[in-house]
Amino acid sequence: MIRSFRLYEASISTLSVLLLYPYSYEMTISVAVKNLLQDKVRILLSATGVALAVMLILVLNGFVTGLYQQVSAYLDNSPGTLVITQRGVTNMLGATSLIPTDTMDRALELQTVADAVPILSQFVILNLHDLKQPAYLIGYPGGPGTPASRGGPWNIIQGREPLTNGEMVFDQVLAKRHNLRLGDRFELMGQEFKIVGLSDGTTSWMTSFIFLRKVAVEELLRAPEATSFLLVSQEPGIDQAQVINQLKQLEGIEVLPKETIVANDTKLLVEVFSTPLQLMAGIAFFVGVLVVGLVIYTATIERQREYGVLKSIGACNRFLYKLVIIQATVAAALGAIAGIGFALGLAKTIMHFRPEFLIIFESDLIWLALGSSFAISLLAAIVPARTIAKLEPAMVFQRGR
Amino acid sequence: MKNALDKNHMIEPCIEKSHQATLFAKNITKRYGTGSTEVIAVRDVSLMIQPGEVVLIMGPSGSGKTTLLLILGALLKPTHGEIRMGEEDLVAMSEKKLPEIRLRKFGFIFQDFNLLSALTVKENVAIAAQLAGLKGRQARAKAETILVDLGLEDRLNFLPEKLSGGEKQRVAIARALVNDPALILADEPTANLDSKIGQEVMRMLRRIAKDQNRSVIIVSHDPRIKEIADRVLWLEDGQFKDMVEMALDPVCGMAVERENAPASLEYQGETYYFCADGCQQEFASSPQHFLSPDHSLQHKV
Ligand SMILES: Nc1ncnc2c1ncn2[C@@H]1O[C@H](COP(=O)(O)OP(=O)(O)OP(=O)(O)O)[C@@H](O)[C@H]1O
Ligand SMILES: [Mg+2]
Repeated sequence: MIRSFRLYEASISTLSVLLLYPYSYEMTISVAVKNLLQDKVRILLSATGVALAVMLILVLNGFVTGLYQQVSAYLDNSPGTLVITQRGVTNMLGATSLIPTDTMDRALELQTVADAVPILSQFVILNLHDLKQPAYLIGYPGGPGTPASRGGPWNIIQGREPLTNGEMVFDQVLAKRHNLRLGDRFELMGQEFKIVGLSDGTTSWMTSFIFLRKVAVEELLRAPEATSFLLVSQEPGIDQAQVINQLKQLEGIEVLPKETIVANDTKLLVEVFSTPLQLMAGIAFFVGVLVVGLVIYTATIERQREYGVLKSIGACNRFLYKLVIIQATVAAALGAIAGIGFALGLAKTIMHFRPEFLIIFESDLIWLALGSSFAISLLAAIVPARTIAKLEPAMVFQRGR
Repeated sequence: MKNALDKNHMIEPCIEKSHQATLFAKNITKRYGTGSTEVIAVRDVSLMIQPGEVVLIMGPSGSGKTTLLLILGALLKPTHGEIRMGEEDLVAMSEKKLPEIRLRKFGFIFQDFNLLSALTVKENVAIAAQLAGLKGRQARAKAETILVDLGLEDRLNFLPEKLSGGEKQRVAIARALVNDPALILADEPTANLDSKIGQEVMRMLRRIAKDQNRSVIIVSHDPRIKEIADRVLWLEDGQFKDMVEMALDPVCGMAVERENAPASLEYQGETYYFCADGCQQEFASSPQHFLSPDHSLQHKV
C-alpha cells in the first residue's frame, strides 16, 4: 500500500531528525511525559482522539482491501491465466459477454493451450423476501476434478456441487440472510432449483455468487451452447505473449490476462468507492490532528509561563519544540495502540452483523496506524510549537502583562 | 556595609576597570511602544557590577526596575546602549547565542518562584544543568549537592506544590546557581515571602555571593534588603537618582558619590571628587584649567 509506506517513511525520517537534537533524551522525555501525565483527562482525550481517527483510517483501509479481495475472488480461485471475452468486453463482473460457439474448440487446437474452461455467467436480480438482491450466476461445466478446477465454487462449506440441472450452490452469507438452508427449493427466473451446497468467500456487499451447471444456465437464458468466458490455461514454459498472439487470431473475441480483468473490474467496482473512502479516511486523519492539536495547544497555552521560564533560564526553542512534539507523540502512540484495538473490534463487529462486508487488515496495519498517528502528532504540534517560538523569555518577569 | 570592591559605580571614562567587572552597562535606554503610546522605561543608565558584589535596585512602581533587570540579564534588548560581560557585547549578540549566555552566565530568581509544576525539587534544579549539557546522573548529583547546601535535603523528591514559599524560593536559588553563573538577577524575590523568611533567603543569597564570588542584582521594594546589599541604587523615572550626595568629577563630568569616590583632592579649601585616580592626577596638574567656567559649562546638565 503506497500511502501507508509514505507515512512510514515520513515517520522514520522525522524520528531521525528528532534523534539528532542536542540534550539528553532521558530528560526531555521525562519532562514531556510528566507534563502530559499531570493531567490525566487531557491525555485520555487526546489519545481517544487519535484512537478514533486511527480506527477509522484502519477500518476504511481494511474495507478497501476487502473490496479488492472480493472483486478478484472468483478469478483468483478459478483455473487458467488468460480469459477470453467477447470482442470489446474487457471485464468480467458487471459485464455481459458472449463469445462465438466454436472459440473453445479452436483454442484447444492450439499447441500452446493446455485447457480451456467455458463459463456462462449472468448478472441477475433476485426477489428475496420482496427485496431486490443482485447476484451473479455462474454456469460451469461438470466433469472430473474439483469444482474449482472447472470454474465452480472453491469452498463449499456445506453439501456438494450441483450434479444435475436442477441443483445449485448458494452463497452462504446470502443464504443465511434469507433463511435458506441446504435442501431448500429456490425459484430463479421461473424455474425451481434445489440448494445442494453452500459456498464461502463468494459474496461481496454488491453481489453474491450462485453456481449452477452450465447447461442449466443455458436453459435459463434460452441460449443453448452459449459461453460468456473461456478460462484458458497455457502449456507450461511458454511465453504468455505468444499464447495471447495466437489466440488473438480467433474471431470476435478479446484475450486478456487475468490480472488485467481484475484490474478492470477493480476500476469499475472498487475505485468508485475507494475515492470517497479515502476521503473519509483523510477526514478522520484531520479530525485526529485537530483533536490532538487542540489538546496539546491548550496544554501549551496553560503552561506557557513554564515554557517561558525554561526559555529565560536558557532553553532554546528546539528543546521546547521537542517537549511539545514528544507530548503529542506519546499521546498519539497511546492512541495508535488503542486505535488498532478499536479497529479490530469494530471490524469484527461489522463482519459479524454484516458478513457481506469484508474488512481485511494487512500486515502493514501497524505501520499505517503508527505512521498516521505519528503524522497526526507532528501536525498537531505545529501550532503549539509556533506559540512557544513566539514566547518572549522576558514575559516571565512581566506580571499581568 | 562597605566592601573593597564597591568603589566603582557609574564610571564612564574608567574603562580599564570594566574588564574585571562582571557586567558593564553603558548608556542603556529602553523605549516601549512608539508615538503617543511611547514609554521610556529606562533613560541613559550606566552601571558596573563587580564580582561578589550585591547590588540592590530600588525605586517606585513603574520606575523601570524590572525593565533594567531584564536588559542586564540579556532577556530584553535595550533601545540604545551597550552591555559587556567580559569580552562579549550582549546587545550586539545574535538571538541564537543568547540562550547559551543566559544558561551559563546568569541565574534568574523570580518573584513567584516559577518552578516547573510537573517536576520534583531535584528535577527542577537538574533540568537547568542538563540544559547546559550535563548528563542526567551528574546533573541530579549536582542539583542534590546544592539543594542540600541550601537546607532542602528533606524535600528533594517533593513536587513544588508541596513546598512552602521560602522552600520554593530556595529551590529557585538552587536552580539559578546550578550552572555556576557569574551574575544572579532577582526581581522582587521576597515579595511572596513573609518578612522573616524573606530576610533569611536574602541572607542566604548574600552568603552565596560572598562565598562563591558571584555578583547579585536584586530589584526590590523591600527596604529591609538594604542591609544585605553592598550598594543600593535608586531608580526613578528610568534614571538613577542620588540616594547619597553626589558630586561632579570636574575632569570628566561623571557623577560620583562623595562618600565612595575612588579619589578626592582638597584644593583651595574645597574638596573635589574624582571617578578614578587618572582624573585626580589630571586635575592636580592644572586645577585652574578644569575649574574655569568654560570647562565646567561642558559638564552642566
Ligand atoms: N512590555 C511593555 N510594554 C510597554 N510598556 C511597558 C512594558 N513593560 C514595562 N512597561 C512600562 O515601562 C515602565 C517601567 O516598567 P517596569 O515594569 O520596568 O517597572 P518596575 O519598576 O519594575 O515596576 P514595579 O515596581 O511595579 O514592578 C512602566 O511605565 C511600564 O508601564
Ligand atoms: Mg517590576
